[in-house]
Amino acid sequence: MSSDRMRITGATKTYPGIVALDDVTFAVAPGEVHGLLGENGAGKSTMLNILSGVRPGDTGTIAVDGTTIPIRTPLDARAAGIAMIHQELQLVPELTVAQNIFLGRPMTGFGGTLVRRREQERRARAVLADLDPTIDPSVKINTLKVAQQQIVEIARALIDEAKVIAMDEPTSSLTPAEFENLANLIAELSERGVSVIYVSHKMDEVFHVCQRATILRDGKLVAVVNIADETEDSVVAKMVGREVLHAAHVSHATTTPVLTVAGLGRADVVMDANLTLHAGEVLGISGLVGAGRTELLRLIAGIDRPTAGTVKVNGQTVRPHDPRAAIRAGIGLVPEERKREGIVHARSVASNMALPKMHNYTGAGLLRHGHLNKRAEQVMSDLRLRPLNVRQPIGTFSGGNQQKAIIGRWLAASTNIFLFDEPTRGIDVGAKSEIYTLIEKLASEGNAILVVSSEMPEIMRLSDRVLVMREGRIVADLASDQITEEAIATHAIPRKDHVSA
Amino acid sequence: MTEGPNAKPASPFNLKFNLRDAGTLFGLILIVVVFASLSPVFLTAPNLINILQQSSINAAIALGMTLVIISGGIDLSVGPTAALSAVIGASLMVAGVPVPLAIMASLGVGVMCGLFNGVLVAYAGLQPFIVTLGGLSLYRALALIYTGGNPIFGIPPEFRALTNGNVAGVPNSVIVVGIIALILWVVLNKTPLGEYILAVGGNEEAARIAGVPVARTKVATFVISGSLASVAALILVGRLGAAEPTIGNLWELDAIAAAAIGGASLMGGKGSIVGTLIGAIILGALRNGLTLMNVQAFYQLLATGIIIIVAMLIDRATRGR
Repeated sequence: MSSDRMRITGATKTYPGIVALDDVTFAVAPGEVHGLLGENGAGKSTMLNILSGVRPGDTGTIAVDGTTIPIRTPLDARAAGIAMIHQELQLVPELTVAQNIFLGRPMTGFGGTLVRRREQERRARAVLADLDPTIDPSVKINTLKVAQQQIVEIARALIDEAKVIAMDEPTSSLTPAEFENLANLIAELSERGVSVIYVSHKMDEVFHVCQRATILRDGKLVAVVNIADETEDSVVAKMVGREVLHAAHVSHATTTPVLTVAGLGRADVVMDANLTLHAGEVLGISGLVGAGRTELLRLIAGIDRPTAGTVKVNGQTVRPHDPRAAIRAGIGLVPEERKREGIVHARSVASNMALPKMHNYTGAGLLRHGHLNKRAEQVMSDLRLRPLNVRQPIGTFSGGNQQKAIIGRWLAASTNIFLFDEPTRGIDVGAKSEIYTLIEKLASEGNAILVVSSEMPEIMRLSDRVLVMREGRIVADLASDQITEEAIATHAIPRKDHVSA
Repeated sequence: MTEGPNAKPASPFNLKFNLRDAGTLFGLILIVVVFASLSPVFLTAPNLINILQQSSINAAIALGMTLVIISGGIDLSVGPTAALSAVIGASLMVAGVPVPLAIMASLGVGVMCGLFNGVLVAYAGLQPFIVTLGGLSLYRALALIYTGGNPIFGIPPEFRALTNGNVAGVPNSVIVVGIIALILWVVLNKTPLGEYILAVGGNEEAARIAGVPVARTKVATFVISGSLASVAALILVGRLGAAEPTIGNLWELDAIAAAAIGGASLMGGKGSIVGTLIGAIILGALRNGLTLMNVQAFYQLLATGIIIIVAMLIDRATRGR
């Protein structure tokens, strides 16, 4: 027992109506990289909240190096040596790297009255030297890439002399190369004896970095496994409580062009994009984060103003920079950042669904709520929304169900061109395959579909054809028999000598 | 959880029972009970009507303010908008323009002020706080320049009769504000515009991507706010029998207070017409009660401040977990 670096025993947390965590014991050895796995709602976030003092548990004791320490606030957690690196990084963009690292506990002189910025920068530089020497502690956070910002958070944890660092979905906005970098960093932390709790939905990453994993389901402990003894499928089966089937890809593509994009561009973010999307086709867009994929979708959907080019639907030019015009033309965007761009948190599923075509649900200028709710129930039950209560605020649903509701929004608006940006980001494994099935069903019904994804298996599973973007340009158009991870990677990675595709 | 999972699909005119509104109402009842026990006059019909009448101006302003706040904005220019509406409407009446036309002109001033604010916010992308802070000075200056700083007297008696009259003992001003509240309740809860206002305030970016006409929605809220400032101005002009260019000082703060007590979140996306109405009456009842008890004005101000802060603390304590 005392060999544990950190141990939480009998953790329970209830919210009105739900037991979020039910008598779970979770322990991490010194220097171990330990996965914390489970579907959304399994209790991972609750566990992290307890460990980091954000929302203390109802019962349960936390011991660090064998000493029981009450953790009631984030400050307690910090003092106990437990650091959290959140999915959404907790940095102040306008402050410098060093200021962020020492945020909340600055190094002071003159009896605590003045901040010693030089000294802070010197110490920050010393810590960063081991992590990423290219980060200058005196620059502002908003000049750094997300991957570097994450390293700043790790540096902050190290300055705090953290013994345990919990990382919540750390790779959600990292490129594959950046993940490799992070994996190396984690290995280094582990060598120094720092334990890492690694929370992720991505099985390949878990298998890459973790030695052991604790699996939760419905707030209960399911298993603690040695990663070496498991396969990805066996772990997923434990998470979902059943076997997950892998379906083969079936194409429904026709030769009828629906959406034509010609010479579309925006400054140096997207340049000269040309593509044709056919009815029933699923066109994947691959590439590194920052290659201009999201930006291309936003231009097509009329969210941002293009500097060049046109978007045509069935031969008709769509008015640029006008989301309503794009929607009238039948284009619906399912955005990447659901919380920020997808849902109106406090409003019901039905209200969220009705937004694009509110006037479909009015009589004499007034909303017919009965009619709206009935229609929403129809659409959402086809999508298998759970729970099927369309009057409940959308923010109370899981990520996967919110995603279904956003898809339902466009179904209800009779959209026939669907733009998916990272459709399964932050969605658990079970719901993921449901979203895939849904996208395939949409295609089989003759809808035209663009899917931007950073996950190779996702692109391979869904796409009839794949476009690869690099540095703002579409550099390759791969037919179904050419889609391989190698082919995509070859085109996606920037090179000095631009060999044409 | 306001409704269980097996709640019946809403009938179109189902008055949803709102827990937050019930809380505001409870606050009002508490204040009424306290003052009724302290002053025998407080709980008499004439005094209650008096309270409603005194609250009607703030209520009119606060109702418009509520929509602006729900959409994620703020309108600091309502007081000066009222002043400008008042002096223009009054000067037209004094010059012999028919009363209905003068009323229309006065409302038109409010609409124009709101439109100006709204266009700058929605199309020029300026922050509502700053735009309406500018409007606050601008409209006040126009009212002062237009009148040379002097009040306008000689309001026609037929106009005064209109605003000071009553139906079955209920003052016309109270009836007008009641009708406005009803209309705005329908707008917020039963129309696409209402859904848009809630969506824009709840998550502007998501609303835009979902195809909500964000700019038009924002303009609409400011226009409604501006025109209700004119309504408040007309009520006051009728009551005073004069129009001063200095009226409406600090009205915006009373209105924000009423909306906040009623449950509106300054972050946007949340607010209630019923709540704001009760919030305005709470402030009115408080002032009335304290006056009846001969409490000095300084202490009334103190009590108002305390009530606002206590209301927000209760709100916070019951909402957060």
